[in-house]
Amino acid sequence: MTLFTKNDCRLCDQLKKKFDLDSLQVKVEVLDGNDAGALAHLAWHGLVETARKSLPLLVLDDSTSVADFSQIKQQLLDRAESRGGFRPQMTGPEPRCDSGSCAL
Amino acid sequence: MGVVMPLTSEKRKKIAASLGRGDSTDLALFVRTSQDDITGWDRNRIVDALLRETFIDPDTAERISLEIEETISSGKVKTVTGPLIREMVNAKLLEMGLEEARRMHTRLGVPLYDVDQLLVQHNKENANVPHGPEATNLTLAEGIKKEYALLHVFSPEVADAHLSGDIHLHDLGFIDRPYCSGQSLEYIKKYGLNLPHALSMAAPAKHAEVLLAHMIKFAAALQSHFAGAIGWDAVNLFYAPYLEELDDRGVKQLAQMLIFEFSQQAVARGGQAIFSDINIYWEVPKHFEDVPAIGPGGKYTGRTYAEYEKQAQRFAWALFEVYKEGDAAGRPFFFPKPLVHITEKFFQTEGHMDFLEHICEVAAEKGNTYFVFDRGETAKISECCRLSFKLEARDFEDAKEPWKMRYSALQNVTINLPRMAYQADGDDTKLFSLLTKKIELAVKAHEEKKKFIERLMSLGEGGPLSMLAMKLDGQTYLRLHRCSYLVGMVGLNELVKVHFGQELHDSDEAMKFGLKIIAHMNIVCNKLSEATGMKLVLEQTPAESTAYRFAKLDLAHYGEHAQEVVQGDGERGQIYYTNSTLYHVGAHMNPIQRVEREGLFHPLIEAGSITHVWLGEARPDKKALANFIINVFRHTQNDQIAFSPEFTSCLDCGKTSRGLQETCPYCQSGHVDGITRITGYFTKVSSWNKGKIGELHERYRNDNQFAGAR
Repeated sequence: MTLFTKNDCRLCDQLKKKFDLDSLQVKVEVLDGNDAGALAHLAWHGLVETARKSLPLLVLDDSTSVADFSQIKQQLLDRAESRGGFRPQMTGPEPRCDSGSCAL
Repeated sequence: MGVVMPLTSEKRKKIAASLGRGDSTDLALFVRTSQDDITGWDRNRIVDALLRETFIDPDTAERISLEIEETISSGKVKTVTGPLIREMVNAKLLEMGLEEARRMHTRLGVPLYDVDQLLVQHNKENANVPHGPEATNLTLAEGIKKEYALLHVFSPEVADAHLSGDIHLHDLGFIDRPYCSGQSLEYIKKYGLNLPHALSMAAPAKHAEVLLAHMIKFAAALQSHFAGAIGWDAVNLFYAPYLEELDDRGVKQLAQMLIFEFSQQAVARGGQAIFSDINIYWEVPKHFEDVPAIGPGGKYTGRTYAEYEKQAQRFAWALFEVYKEGDAAGRPFFFPKPLVHITEKFFQTEGHMDFLEHICEVAAEKGNTYFVFDRGETAKISECCRLSFKLEARDFEDAKEPWKMRYSALQNVTINLPRMAYQADGDDTKLFSLLTKKIELAVKAHEEKKKFIERLMSLGEGGPLSMLAMKLDGQTYLRLHRCSYLVGMVGLNELVKVHFGQELHDSDEAMKFGLKIIAHMNIVCNKLSEATGMKLVLEQTPAESTAYRFAKLDLAHYGEHAQEVVQGDGERGQIYYTNSTLYHVGAHMNPIQRVEREGLFHPLIEAGSITHVWLGEARPDKKALANFIINVFRHTQNDQIAFSPEFTSCLDCGKTSRGLQETCPYCQSGHVDGITRITGYFTKVSSWNKGKIGELHERYRNDNQFAGAR
């Protein structure tokens, strides 16, 4: 799995805080405007236009992608559970990104 | 230039005496001047020119004039020419180590032999320029302006990078114009044909045919102010308020007039047809739905454009009927290029499948249709071979008053990608560093051209760009602050081949490396946009002659590396690099695979990209092609596609046949010419440069690869 994120993306931050992405073997790509490799990886999956609308984006092992935040969260929860690892508590209202920074 | 004090006669005598000469000469010599005159010898003209055009001091100028006089008088000639004297002065400046003065004193011109050749032989740099007196005028003027640009507009660093083939500065012969223009018919509908310095002024058109006449003339005027394409947005929609007075036959007649008028404009600048594009929508685009429509006489009709959908569709349909028929000999029309926007709303609009099949039939039969994919909320104006202006928030605001929608790219600078791979010699860090440096150089070139155009524009309506400086709506026609600056690329495929050992189509890894190169270019452009305040965007360069030029220069300067890499037939000199980010034209791929893979680059190339599907003799079924288009829209990232059939036009019997044939199948004459798409437009193969001929031979034709092909 690959999670495409951005440094000033609030929604991305929440996932990074709640999940131990390393142990879930989720590769994190940061689209910070400097990393051509990360942008090329995003383009390879055909997700540049999607990322221009919203981030984070999760690419699953079968190369399909998920853009909806709650679905990304669910995918990560399922992965955590299937690996018998710590399943984080995700309570409270869904975070929102009103500033527009959660996009490429 | 600083103030130069004239020499006193005392001073002149003193210098002359030091050279052992009298103050004045009695040479019985005549000079043929550049002002169509034959005058007597007067060496003070040399002094005056040196003081006027360079920074050298009066004593040196005087000394040079005396030495030139000495040389000429010792030659016993009776008549010399102004250009010869200037060259002699330049040689003297060089002898004296005054290189900068020599540069400033340069005479731009063309050798007699070259002019003789030019008048007789066809210049094939641009296949859209026919051969004739107007074309040679264009070529001669372009030659001088190009020299001027490289000497006077661009810095030596930029000029040298162009000359050596690191980068290519496009349209140097049109240095005093922006690159291309995209606009709305609403401007002439609202303001009529009202051009600075025109002999007469026309009020807004009251009838469709008059609007057409205004459009054609305005386009011709624009052609003389821009180097490249002249594009029109939503043409069928903006015509719609004028069509209510016409029955279907009248609409078809209007469509026929529009297409023939543009395709027969080979009487305009340099005998060159206007590179014209018409953007067409089946639906009423969302951003025009609520816009008050302008109708006959430039008056608001009291309705919005949403209410003109049916009229707009009638015109769109008729236009494609004309394209399907072709010209009087059944050949495809070369211009105007019709670009149909495929959007989400397209699929929600009644009759869309019938229209899609209609335009697909034209694509299969004649190849005219460009399919432009505007996914999600994207909207753009497309033109040229693939250029597009993607609308931003402020553009959607302008769309409420569509005459404001005027977009221009000021210049296009292309980077020679394979050369960097030769220079990097397998070192990734060096490769990306070189790439950054070349983009910075391209940006420097843009800054220099911008400064030059700003200078011309500052002269206002009395200056050379009067049309672009006119302010009918309160702002200049050319909105300089909104211009784009294009950074193009040639030969990504060959860069990857050199650096990675495989071509783009060979493996996923090669493709991923290619994506990284373009991603890097995208990132650097974004950063430099922020730093300079200029809108720097990547475009897939059409590279009609650049792909050939770069390959030739690299063979000359990097022969050891380049001969393994350049495409085409080296023995015949028909060599080229693969255009922009395209896959090798000869790669055996089915069309959907090519469209999908090449399309992965497109979101990174914001000013336009395209995939060509070379049809050869194939004539895919319209339903199969329509399904193909739907799949491309739904399942790929591809920006634009075009299908290119091939034709043979018989120059004896005049008939047109399918495919590129050696002889006419109707009369067996060998006096034939091929017709197919060179880069973005159709043209006669006999006018192609050698590189493009090489590419044509290697193109992989997608024969019988569409389900249901006939």
